[in-house]
Amino acid sequence: MSDARGVIRLESLTKAYGRVTALDGVDLEVRAGEMVTLVGPSGSGKSTVLRLIAGLDRPDHGRVWVDGQDVATVPPHRRAVAMVFQDYALYPHLTVRGNLLFGLQVRRVRRAEADRRARAAAERLGIADLLDRYPDQMSGGQRQRVALARALLREPSVYLLDEPLASLDAPLRFATRADLLALHRELRTTTIHVTHDQQEAMTLGDRVVVLAGGRVRQVGPPQQVYDEPADTFVAGFLGSPPMNLVPGGGLLGGDAGATLGVRPEDLALDGAAPVEVTLEAVEALGSEAVLLTRADDGTRLTVRTGPRPGVGPGERVRLRVDPARVHRFDTATGLRR
Amino acid sequence: MSRRPLTAWAFLAPYAVAVALLILVPALLNVGYAGTDHTGLTRDPRFVGLANVRRLLDDSFLVDSLQASLFHVALAVPVRLVAAVGLGLLLAAPRPGGRWFRTAVYLPTVIPDVALAVLFLWVLNPLYGPLNQLLGLVGHPGFTWLADPTTARVGVVLMLAFPIGEGFVVVLAARRMLNGRLYEAAALEGCGPVGQLRRLTLPLLAPVLVLLAVRDTILTLQVNFVPAYVLTDGRPANATLYLPVYIFDQVFEFSGFAYGSLITILLMLVTAAVITVQLVMVRRWRVLR
Repeated sequence: MSDARGVIRLESLTKAYGRVTALDGVDLEVRAGEMVTLVGPSGSGKSTVLRLIAGLDRPDHGRVWVDGQDVATVPPHRRAVAMVFQDYALYPHLTVRGNLLFGLQVRRVRRAEADRRARAAAERLGIADLLDRYPDQMSGGQRQRVALARALLREPSVYLLDEPLASLDAPLRFATRADLLALHRELRTTTIHVTHDQQEAMTLGDRVVVLAGGRVRQVGPPQQVYDEPADTFVAGFLGSPPMNLVPGGGLLGGDAGATLGVRPEDLALDGAAPVEVTLEAVEALGSEAVLLTRADDGTRLTVRTGPRPGVGPGERVRLRVDPARVHRFDTATGLRR
Repeated sequence: MSRRPLTAWAFLAPYAVAVALLILVPALLNVGYAGTDHTGLTRDPRFVGLANVRRLLDDSFLVDSLQASLFHVALAVPVRLVAAVGLGLLLAAPRPGGRWFRTAVYLPTVIPDVALAVLFLWVLNPLYGPLNQLLGLVGHPGFTWLADPTTARVGVVLMLAFPIGEGFVVVLAARRMLNGRLYEAAALEGCGPVGQLRRLTLPLLAPVLVLLAVRDTILTLQVNFVPAYVLTDGRPANATLYLPVYIFDQVFEFSGFAYGSLITILLMLVTAAVITVQLVMVRRWRVLR
């Protein structure tokens, strides 16, 4: 039992809401102390996975193990999980202190002990001076910290974070992401982090789980998933701008029945290269530029270059393809060959 | 730019005129009449100073009337509030057949109160009324409802415990606006249904509940006229001689228009006093943030 603390195992989890299938046979094992990010487009079933682990919903089929225990009959509060909701779900009629004490009071922790623990959690997240504020008197970032502090007080085996950064503006999200990582390094508690932001998934996760249509498309360390996407969906979903996918190969080298893919950074301008395209637009991003091009056969290719590429829209340019970085997928199944 | 407020005032005007003509002016006239000897038919009422007030202070029927009204408001407001809130919370969640139950709860509110009162003449009948029959099932001999002072007052409250549709609908709507995530967060922390009611639902609904209590106090002090008029006509032993009934008697039966006017002012003061007590309690118990 103690060896299994922090281990999560999902076995062929299936869940439908009415006629909508949210999850369709999800298998996953999360190791103790690991930070796993669940990433996928909206409606891919990410949040459903968290809800089933937390016990807020029951699976139609399949099993959930938490800490090595099948939790099918275990009510949510007996599962050693803490959840942070996207909208934080802070109790609006209670101060920060009241929000933090809520669970401790329900569990009948003695007042002095509860106060001490609430204060410790608040200090850890840097919100000790906000204890007497109400949720509507705080910024989004502060509320998010209160939600995290509330989760800390559960002292769970697993943290379930449902898009905790989604409601923050970009600079704050960046800073909070670093804080989350630091907190995780310190606590070493298993964490499942749901996000639709692929950048967040890549930077936070020890491993990334790509979900789509209620199925797991790929599981692996971020770089591996990026370098060797398991199918065309993962290839197109991870990476910005997304991978160029050319059914039949086309100008990347014909291959009937296959879809060839190449990431924008694996294409380069080269006057001596064989692939000739027309430059349609240049997106200057400051530190880099993205070239939107179209070949004579209509194929669109996105190219990532350094800043100030020195070419303009309407010009004919030639592209070099790094042959070692061309991905091959089966056109019929979408799977990597 | 300046036309906008003008347009707004133009649209408000018909209502403002009606309020002034039908409520404000009569209310002011009422204050004026309270200091006269107007009988309702007098052509030239004379100003009599504080004569009516002196009569008020020495009126034993008025003491009965005040007692009846205070008993009524003390029992009816909690009963009606608990019924509206209880049923509202119970029926807020979507469940099969829920709409039929919700309709059933609202239905007595659309029945004219005279009809409801006539119905309650039968319900409270000591010989063949269903209420005594039900009490008989559990071995209770039943009550002579409208013939006994206390049970007559309770009988009126019982009748008024049914037309609670407005409060019910408000609670229903307010409960449905509460964020379901809060309940999930509470469930994860081990807070069961009773804890959720006590720690989430009631505190979150507190502003609505205070509003309903205040509104029901105003309402309850006035709507007991019809049941009392139909069921008991103020009897037995003045037990249901609520202030509105006494005012009606004075004004239209005893030609005491001026005296009745004075009692309407007293009714307003009683209402204000009860509401003040409620708001002080709300503040003392920190019901609202």
